[in-house]
Amino acid sequence: MRSYPAIYFDGLTSTLHEVTIRLLPGRIVISNAGGNSLDEWHYSRLRRFNAPARLLRLGLRKNDRLSRLDIADQDAAREIGHACPEIDRSGAGARAERKRTIAWTFAATFSLVLSVMDGIPAIADRLVPAVPPVMEQRLSNAADGRIRSMFAGRNDDRPFECGIGTAEAPGQAAFEKLIEKLKAGADFKLPLKVVVIRRHVTNAVTLPGHIYVFQGLIDEARNPDELAGVITHELGHLANRDAIRSLLQATGLSFVFGSLLGDFVGGGATVFAAKIVSKLAFSRRREAEADDYAVRAMVALKANPRAFANFMERVAGARNRGSIFIAHPATPDRVAHINAITRSYHSGVISLLEDSEWAALKEVCSGYR
Amino acid sequence: MSISARDDCSASVPRRVCFNGSNRDFRRIVFRSAVLLMATLGLYRFWYKTDVRCFLWAHTEIDGLPLEYAGTAMELLRGFLTAFVIILSIYSVAFIVVLNLGGYATEMTVAAVVALLFLSQVGTYLARRYRLTRTVFRGLRLRQTGSALGYSIYAAGWWILAALTLGLGYPFTRAALERFKMRNTFFGDLGARFDAKGGWLFLRVFPIWLAVAVPASVTIVSLAQIRWRDVLVAMPGAGSFLARAEAVSPGFTESITSAAVSGAVCLAMIALLVPWFHAIIIRWWISGIRFGEIATLSHLPARNVYAAYLRFAAYVFVFVLAIAVMTIAVFPLIGLIFDGRKSQISEIVTVLLFVTIYFISVFGSIALYHTTVALPVWRNVADTIELVGDRSRLERVHAAGEASSPLGEGIADVLNVGGL
Repeated sequence: MRSYPAIYFDGLTSTLHEVTIRLLPGRIVISNAGGNSLDEWHYSRLRRFNAPARLLRLGLRKNDRLSRLDIADQDAAREIGHACPEIDRSGAGARAERKRTIAWTFAATFSLVLSVMDGIPAIADRLVPAVPPVMEQRLSNAADGRIRSMFAGRNDDRPFECGIGTAEAPGQAAFEKLIEKLKAGADFKLPLKVVVIRRHVTNAVTLPGHIYVFQGLIDEARNPDELAGVITHELGHLANRDAIRSLLQATGLSFVFGSLLGDFVGGGATVFAAKIVSKLAFSRRREAEADDYAVRAMVALKANPRAFANFMERVAGARNRGSIFIAHPATPDRVAHINAITRSYHSGVISLLEDSEWAALKEVCSGYR
Repeated sequence: MSISARDDCSASVPRRVCFNGSNRDFRRIVFRSAVLLMATLGLYRFWYKTDVRCFLWAHTEIDGLPLEYAGTAMELLRGFLTAFVIILSIYSVAFIVVLNLGGYATEMTVAAVVALLFLSQVGTYLARRYRLTRTVFRGLRLRQTGSALGYSIYAAGWWILAALTLGLGYPFTRAALERFKMRNTFFGDLGARFDAKGGWLFLRVFPIWLAVAVPASVTIVSLAQIRWRDVLVAMPGAGSFLARAEAVSPGFTESITSAAVSGAVCLAMIALLVPWFHAIIIRWWISGIRFGEIATLSHLPARNVYAAYLRFAAYVFVFVLAIAVMTIAVFPLIGLIFDGRKSQISEIVTVLLFVTIYFISVFGSIALYHTTVALPVWRNVADTIELVGDRSRLERVHAAGEASSPLGEGIADVLNVGGL
């Protein structure tokens, strides 16, 4: 049995005790310079604590007091390490545990990503029916105000909407007739306001209860069926309540990825990636469903269900080369899909508007050039 | 005594505080963790934080006795999960309320942001309590009293003042908050306080504020003189853009030039003065700390902080070059693999590559910052601290307090205000 020098703190006061430790079978006896025993620690209760490599710092498990024994003598440290492997003097145990931790963290990350990517859209799908349409409506009324103020400034003194004043009235009447027909054909019963916006963009934007058709879209359309295809597609989004669905999804994804994975080091990128990937996977499905809806409506109206595909191909095909940053899936895929499901259908037997009405509709924004 | 006879710190007998951790060991922790953080999308951060704290604490010695960090990564994880559930419920309620109130969505969002900022101050204070109670010295722990709610109200008021005075009030805000924190800080039963004055700091940082604020205001004034709406309208078109812009917004060229020059000066000033600012704040803060009658004095030379930042800048430059080369090399590769065809798979692969490059840049820069700035500054700060007063008082402190919950660290983490 040998004695070694050590430093001891009793955990009650900060007084430094220069002590001698004796390593007995099963325990360490700590005594002061006068030979009086200060404390006796059983190996079974020992625990190693954070200290620089040159020191072995010991304390007791499950102890209210933070009593500490600092042992600088390497022989003593070695001997204690042998007598009490639980303290894991070499750190091998800690390293093995760390490896297990890392493996678990990997597994957790992997399963988290999978379950969140699949789970959040699934939760959003279940929640959508639970959100009353009136809530959606309130949100979109607020958004409507913002859209108007956003575009109003760029339009100088001209009104935000087309179809204003006597010059544009016939076009507006034709447009409203078309919308009513489409709603009837699609059996669409939700509250809805469709307006034409004075902007040269070939696009349409949908908010719950609102469809904004840009002037550029009407300019590009060659016949009523092409325009009707776009609008029934947007009706499909509304009927499927895709706006609130994507809002729920985006909120869920940002929260979970933003905070669970932490912005400590770039959770922002994770959120960004998650949004894009989920958009790729899920907005494609939403678009395909809206396309199906549009085809059904056009077939019911005995109009040409393929006109939309042609229109898309002509207008978007030139620019939208499947960029990852657009919500709509690659146009060729959608065109092919629409053509496939409409193969057995007619190419339209009834025209949605008289030629004169179509001509008027093409001029719906001409009053304020 | 054998314990105080070490290579690194023995040369500094009159200095009572010193740091003797090796750069190599620290680099190993940081870069190994950076890879793991990347692979776990950041989930590894609880272990990383704990490793770094253990390293910094254990190699910081006062009178030859190393500090001890007694926290564990599992505690941080637990605190995080608890905070996650709490904040998730707050988010959900806020989301439902916003849905219900449609028209007030903007106002509600602002209210939610304010509430979360407030909560982040609560988290910051609680996190400090966690760190202090996990800091062991001479067999006793440090601790923090005071209400986190009280602190966040107090902090909110002072931060508003700092914001309203465009940063001029920052020294006073900082001093008030440090006074609050330090008078609630104890080593066992030995109470601390903060004696440094906001006015002293104000005089030191005012020139820095001026050097940044003057060019910044020139930039703002110049930009404000341009009629942006007209210029934006005139943007598309043939011929000289400058001529067209000049026509719709007289003085455009002059304004945009002065904005560019003053903006560049402002950025250069920030880059040049950040290390100085950092050094001043540290010196002021350390020199204000009192434990009983023991005072700490900092003799941190600003040039050491400059050296750290310079090294950081050099490494970042090389790192950014490497990332750029990698990016340029990777994208043609995607084109080759997918043969120019656009498919869902190629889009997803592209996004994932983007994200990977982004992750490498972010985790890499953080690792570089921790190794080239954080550690050297910590080392220099520790090595230049002088303890003044009757240090024997440190040997007669009695234990008090108990370990606190890691919830605050969790809140701070969920709200992204957590740090090392």
